[in-house]
Formats: sequence, structure tokens, C-alpha cells
Amino acid sequence: MAVDLSMPVLVVDDYNTMIRIIRNLLKQIGFQDIDDAADGSAALGKMRDKRYGLVISDWNMEPMTGYELLKEVRGDPGLAKTPFIMVTAESKTENVIAAKKAGVNNYIVKPFNAQTLQSKIEAVFAD
Amino acid sequence: MVTGNTKVFEDLVDFLKQKRENVTFIDIIRLAEIAASSLQSFFETFDATVYRELREIAGYIDSMRDQIGVLQVNEIKNSRIPAAGQELGAIVKATENATNTIMNCAEALMAADASDPVAYKALVDEKMMMIFEACSFQDITGQRIAKVVETLQHIEERVGRFANVMKAKDFEGFLTDSERDRAARKERLFLHGPSLDGQGVDQSTVDKMIENDDKGSQANIDKLFS
Repeated sequence: MAVDLSMPVLVVDDYNTMIRIIRNLLKQIGFQDIDDAADGSAALGKMRDKRYGLVISDWNMEPMTGYELLKEVRGDPGLAKTPFIMVTAESKTENVIAAKKAGVNNYIVKPFNAQTLQSKIEAVFAD
Repeated sequence: MVTGNTKVFEDLVDFLKQKRENVTFIDIIRLAEIAASSLQSFFETFDATVYRELREIAGYIDSMRDQIGVLQVNEIKNSRIPAAGQELGAIVKATENATNTIMNCAEALMAADASDPVAYKALVDEKMMMIFEACSFQDITGQRIAKVVETLQHIEERVGRFANVMKAKDFEGFLTDSERDRAARKERLFLHGPSLDGQGVDQSTVDKMIENDDKGSQANIDKLFS
């Protein structure tokens, strides 16, 4: 896997259980520096304080959704190049199109397994 | 019987002018009689059709009151909906507790030292038993969900019957500003929530849409709509 496992990863989800699941899966892959945030605005604050190598975000959160976070990140010159994976139960075609237009690097539909997460992370860093 | 007409009202005015300083109880009764007689003659001039229509409206209002009673609105609002809310809250809590227990077990096993096979086996057995126990939440949540579904059916039957009897047409638009704001936010931010089986796109379709980045991706996306 051509991924730098020492890079900090930010997991954004409003459900603590999902954060815990993704955190454990990332640890299994080999990541050690994992932070989390409960919504887009909290994530944005953390991203402006610390440089993350990867953001894995849910879509449906309040007050700021993952979609809004993605657009904020892509619109901020200091954060714009941060790899961003959307992990969400939103599986309508228009969601995928909107995320892609907003600049998402990959998109995982919930429920997902460890292999899917790993392969999408690898795909993002293989580009 | 005194019949009401212009003459009656003129008499009434004269009577009041004369009696301005010394009105008795008898005078008041007399006034009431004159006024009532005047109104009676006024209503007698009503067209019979209008009277019939008013009776129909009164009957409709009576019937509507009966139908609202059948709806059992107060019982639904004060008892059934709060009870369903409590059941759903209990379901969320039970699933959360079960998930936490299962994840705690999984994390303990992942972090366990496997160098001592006997101790490791004992730990695995203990954690597996805890996982089995935690999974029993599904039986209870299934029963709770059945109660919530029953409440929804109860409401559906009554509201459906009421709408049918009243020949109600759906109100278009939003009842409140906050309802409108929530709907606008959902549309603007593509908040649909989880799709049911067969709806939405699966991971392999998503992958095709994401992978075809510089190779006519819009065309591929367009295919998904055709």
C-alpha cells in the first residue's frame, strides 16, 4: 500500500459508533494518528489547526454537512488539496454527482466493509 | 303577536324617548318583546332555500364534530404518539448499548495478548458470550418496533377515514416556516437519508462514476439517468 500510514487522518461523523468503527478499521490498516469531529464546522476548525493527510467524512450532519465541508475545503487555498473521502448512506445518483462536482476523491456507500475502505484509500493515493 | 316593521321600531324609539328618566323592569321586558318580535319578522323574510342551506351547514358541522371525535385526536396526541416516541427512544438506546458492548468485546480481543493460548481462549470465550448476550437486543427491539408500527397503523386508519368522510384535499405547501426551511435545506444539500434496497446506487455504480474522471464522466453519469 503506497500510503503514508503516519499521516494524520480526520474522521467526521455525528455518530460516535461510526467514528469508533472507522477509527478501528483505520488502525487495522495501520494508521495511528486519527482525530475525529462531530460535524463539518468542527472538522473545518480542526483542519485549520492541524494539517491532515486525509479526511473521511459522513454527509448528513448538523449544523454543517459533509457536502458543505467538502465545498469549504475545496474553496480554501490552504486546504484545497486535502484528499477527501465521503462515507455516507446517501446513495442517490445526484449525491454522487454533486460530491464529484464538488471535488470529492472517493465515495463509499454505507454500510461498507474494511476492504472497501482500504481499497478506496489506496485508490485516492494511487492517483 | 306584534309583527316587526318600521312602525314597531318608531314606537320603540318613541317609547324610549318618553321613558328615558324612569325605566322599570316591566319596561325592559316590553322592550325585549318588541325587539324579539322584530327579529322574528326579519327571519321570516329569509328565503327558505337559505334556511335549508344553513341547516345543512349546521348538520355538516355536527357530523364533522362526530368525525373528529372518532379520530380520537386527544388520545393520539397525549397517549399514543408519546408512547411510540418512548419506544423509539428505547430502541435507539438498546441498539447503542448492544453496539457498545460488541465493540468493547471486539476491541478487547484485538488488543489481547495471544502468547498464552489458554488465557487467550478463556478471554475469547468470555467475550463471545458477551457478544451473544448483547445480540439478544434484537428480540426486544423487534417487539418495540411492532408497537410503533401498530400506532402508525392506528393513526393511518383514523386519519384516512376522516379524510375520506370529509372529502379532504391535500393542502399544498408548508404548514410552518420551519417546515419550509427544513425542506429547502434537504433539497439544497441533497439530504435524502438511507435508500431502501433497490433504490439508490450501489458501490460498484458509485465506483464507475468516480473512476471515469477524465474520460467522458458526464456521459457515463447521463447513462445512469437514461
